[in-house]
Amino acid sequence: MTGRSMRDRGAIVGVGATPQGKLPGSTALSLAVDAFKLALADSGLEKRQIDGLLTFSGQTAPEGQQNYLRLGETLGINPRWTGTMYMGGSTAGALVQQAVLAIEAGMATHVACVYGDAAATGGGVFNRAQGWGDSSAIWGFMSAAANSAITAARHMAVYGTTSQQLGEIAVACRYHASLNPAAVMRKPITIEDHQASRWVVEPLHLLDCCLVSDGGVCIIVSSAEHARDLKQPPVLISGMGQGYTTQILEREDWWYAPHQKVAVEVAYKMAGVGPQDIDVAQLYDNFTPSVLLWLEHGGFCEPGEAGAFVEGGRIRLGGDLPVNTAGGNLSESFMEGWLHIVEGVRQMRGQCGERQVAGAETCLVTGRGMTLNCANAMVLRKS
Amino acid sequence: MSDYTKPLPVLTDENRPFWESCAAGRLSFQQCRDCEHLRYPISHICPECLSTDYSWMPVSGRGHVFSYVVFHKAYHPGFQGDLPYNVALVQLEEGPRMYGNVVDTPNDAVRIGDAVEAVFEEVTPEITIPRFRLVRKDGESKPIA
Repeated sequence: MTGRSMRDRGAIVGVGATPQGKLPGSTALSLAVDAFKLALADSGLEKRQIDGLLTFSGQTAPEGQQNYLRLGETLGINPRWTGTMYMGGSTAGALVQQAVLAIEAGMATHVACVYGDAAATGGGVFNRAQGWGDSSAIWGFMSAAANSAITAARHMAVYGTTSQQLGEIAVACRYHASLNPAAVMRKPITIEDHQASRWVVEPLHLLDCCLVSDGGVCIIVSSAEHARDLKQPPVLISGMGQGYTTQILEREDWWYAPHQKVAVEVAYKMAGVGPQDIDVAQLYDNFTPSVLLWLEHGGFCEPGEAGAFVEGGRIRLGGDLPVNTAGGNLSESFMEGWLHIVEGVRQMRGQCGERQVAGAETCLVTGRGMTLNCANAMVLRKS
Repeated sequence: MSDYTKPLPVLTDENRPFWESCAAGRLSFQQCRDCEHLRYPISHICPECLSTDYSWMPVSGRGHVFSYVVFHKAYHPGFQGDLPYNVALVQLEEGPRMYGNVVDTPNDAVRIGDAVEAVFEEVTPEITIPRFRLVRKDGESKPIA
């Protein structure tokens, strides 16, 4: 690979998240604006200093791909760098990485990455068939859950992974959410609760599935140099990586999302770290099988071993690798992975209270979106 | 008149040969005339060599279950009465993979790796949908890993 290393060049200097859950009366726009104001206050920057605006239009913003214009107009920002990207749960990381590149190239100084969605009360559309042409809906193959069920069933058949092992992931995320006052689902659950929850798309139970939420999140990115002079302890973006698989039926190992491995390995290499250096991980969890793949592709265990890896509380606080310490998409709130980055930043700042991983200095954050197609990873580091 | 309420393909010049072949009781896929790649989903261009020159090639309809799920929730009202119903991702012998329902068997009798063959169900005068059924014991079953 050629090109200048981006290691520790960018930093996350402000994060903001609105209340989450069912928020009647809110809109994608109002939630994005609220999140922006929270992140701005968190960073100590003034609005006039924000010269980059990157957005995800989500499920319910009526302006769709013109979301950046709508938000810019509403916030009164005429940016030097802007745009809207649509990669589902991979968008947040892709936008933050784009912000780092734009800043490094001198195209912007402080970039706000913003997302607001009223998917819970405003009609999310996670239930469709995906793709184009002759739709898999002809055979009833629809919903985001179905694609993860395909992965889970195959992982179970090839490697002997069990539903109880998927349950370990759901239980760990819920335990973490119980320690997070901002989480939507805080009542602890057991493996038995997981097993007793109804089937959605077998082999996935209801408790293998993420929430559907209203909420907004904003993440402000600056250079590492600027970050030193701002309000919060700087959190450096040490490594960034992305990977994509556009072909699904044509690609034999699509179900295993091999591009996730590409994304993590590029990020590790840039940061000069490996899985042994990761103190805490925020791994994208639209459905529990996603975490299995991230653990394997992140090098925390060998292919096929993630089911055994998650047993015995290993991914819970106090375990070898605490995962999704705020509760994740499964229990904190489904913000398409945006809150995974926020939690990574707060862990590196040491602001997580009861759920803080003691002494944590390095965090892996991952995102994945669309029909398993899009993946990215970042290594965050305490400065 | 049809009382079929599930999603149907929209016929175009591009996909019509696929569905006409199904109506005749065969699966056919596009084969690139330049690199011979047999492709699916249907596309005007070969994803391997970008040639637009292709012919429709009938295939055996035989394959094995690559992955398999059972829907307990209907995401389209047309499937409500079928719950629980299955969808398999089928690896066909000739290379392509496609989704399809495994019919004439209980949902819990299907295993990943099981041999299947295409069967055809006329659901409207225009459309015949390919599905799959298990090949009995003498059929070949593909090792999983």
